[in-house]
Amino acid sequence: MKEQTHSTRRQFVKLVSAVGATAAVGPFFHARPARADKGELVVVSWGGSWAKSLREVMFTPFEKETGYKVRDDGPPEGAKLKAMIQSGDVTWDILDTDLPAIQTMVKDGLLDPLDYGKLDKSKLDRIPKPLHNSHGIGHKIYSFNIVYNTKALPTGKHPRSWAEVWDGQKFKGGRSFNFRGGIAPQLEIALLADGVPMDKLYPIDIERAWKSMDRLRPLVTKWYQSHAEAIQLLTAGEVDISCTVGPRGIYAKRTGAPVDVDYNQGKLGSDYWCVVKGSKNRDVALQFINFALDGKRQAGMVKENPYGPSNSTAFDFLTPEEAKDLTTSPDNIKRQFWINEEWWGKLGPDNKNENQKQKERFATWMLNK
Amino acid sequence: MTAGGDLARPVPGGPGRYWRSRQGLALAVPLAFFVALYLYPLSRLFAWSFFSPGFTLEHYAKLFGEPAYLRALRNTSQISLWVTVIALLLGYPLAYLMTVVSLRTRAILVVLVLVPFWTSVLVRTFAWMVILGRRGLINQVLMSWGVTHRPLALIYNMLGVQIGMVHVLLPFMVFPLLSVMSRIDSALVTAARSLGASPRQAFLRIFLPLSLPGVSAGCVLVFLLAVGFYITPALLGGEGQVTFATLIELVVRDLLDWNFGASLGVFLLTVVGTLFVLFSTVLGLDRLTGQGRA
Repeated sequence: MKEQTHSTRRQFVKLVSAVGATAAVGPFFHARPARADKGELVVVSWGGSWAKSLREVMFTPFEKETGYKVRDDGPPEGAKLKAMIQSGDVTWDILDTDLPAIQTMVKDGLLDPLDYGKLDKSKLDRIPKPLHNSHGIGHKIYSFNIVYNTKALPTGKHPRSWAEVWDGQKFKGGRSFNFRGGIAPQLEIALLADGVPMDKLYPIDIERAWKSMDRLRPLVTKWYQSHAEAIQLLTAGEVDISCTVGPRGIYAKRTGAPVDVDYNQGKLGSDYWCVVKGSKNRDVALQFINFALDGKRQAGMVKENPYGPSNSTAFDFLTPEEAKDLTTSPDNIKRQFWINEEWWGKLGPDNKNENQKQKERFATWMLNK
Repeated sequence: MTAGGDLARPVPGGPGRYWRSRQGLALAVPLAFFVALYLYPLSRLFAWSFFSPGFTLEHYAKLFGEPAYLRALRNTSQISLWVTVIALLLGYPLAYLMTVVSLRTRAILVVLVLVPFWTSVLVRTFAWMVILGRRGLINQVLMSWGVTHRPLALIYNMLGVQIGMVHVLLPFMVFPLLSVMSRIDSALVTAARSLGASPRQAFLRIFLPLSLPGVSAGCVLVFLLAVGFYITPALLGGEGQVTFATLIELVVRDLLDWNFGASLGVFLLTVVGTLFVLFSTVLGLDRLTGQGRA
């Protein structure tokens, strides 16, 4: 540090250039994504404990069974895939991602249509119809739920409906809702809060939903950027109520955080297995997806990560205790609704889907006060 | 800027000879780097902003047609100005202190300023969440002392963003100041004092004017970095702190609308570039980078 103390002008300029250069070059030294060579499948997922379980439950057994190597990479960002496809250097084969992302990617031609003929019909029959997307098959079901801090709101005294979440008189504590990330604004939830019944949500009355969002606004302490942040805000007691991914709330609860989930009026969605456009291993990719749709294997995944298995046979391999908290367990799923992908995905005359339009509106809504 | 300064120096034998000289070769590498990794992508960005897929001004029309986007720019400038002013108010006395203490103490102070600089912005931002939160350290202390009964809103607002960003950017204010201040001849101040100036007069009329190049360099650096800040305002800010960088991220990553995203980027670059030119002419930044008298 001696030199620093005698820092001269030139040294300072050097320091600044060095800092600048590091900042500029940094992105180029990111670990090169795994290469999709013949005989090696690259599966791109969201990381964390999910990726760890994928390795144990899916990748290793698949490698043993087929002799293909599976490599993981992540996160499955559309922007990254778009750059790969534009530069002609596609290193990914399979993407594990959600519907809004898929719809945006399909519009940009980044995914191949899914060849359902290569998947076992017996498995497909056990997967709910809303999850049979033209470009992906749902495998990991999540839901947006009322997730709350049990210290501030002991179970029983917590809000049980979105109308109650919107009720600032009855529940004084701060709320947290998503701002950005893959997800669109929670228009269905805003309608539920406004009294629209669960089976009458679509087609969404957009103006009514945004008016309801206006009423929510003053109650929100923090518009969160990621689901991890949402759980952190809840556990730290920064907010009392959050609209976030229920399964993440269950995970936090299992690890001892003062958090619980009410599945009532939850919005069900899914992560899908998709095949990347230009994948060099299409057949193996489909083979892997078929392998991964197996009920028993899905059950293996959700033991560690309390998401809903899409294949209903998975529940044959779970104890009642393990199944109880899952979003797709019979008691929970019947109190929730499926996100309507047709409505969100339909293209307007401006070649934009509702998902993009409402996200854009979300940003301007946030900025126009 | 230094490159510009060196290049401007006349070289006998003309530019061809210059590039074959050792100095020219040494410059050619960074210059090639600059062109390949900076100018080329920038030109692509510029091109994207005007196409969709044919030539169009629609992205700019959208940008200027929607007040919300300009409001994001206003939020960004507000945050950046505040952060610059606070960093100056904190950094100036600190840098001054560093010039008057012993070398050993100065080394310790430099390390203290630098250490947080070595930890990730994300970690530091999370640390502030722990300290400033509703049930954070400060609120718990204040409430247990009975200073306040309800937790103060220290975070998810402008205050939280200011605290978090000043913490991250302070070194960029302190080091330019320090480098200028440590070159001020202390004999000048002593001379002023011996000629009857009060300590206050000696500071205001001798030391302060001589330190101004450091002030302008520090301010420009902090302001420009603050304009591009993303993580800290996103995590520590509230709904009034949605910045232009957040907007760009949303458009590029979530909406995959790279053409519109590019127009946002070009616009921000233009605004910042204009500000930079204004700053450096008005505040005389060139003095720091070696062209003026310094």
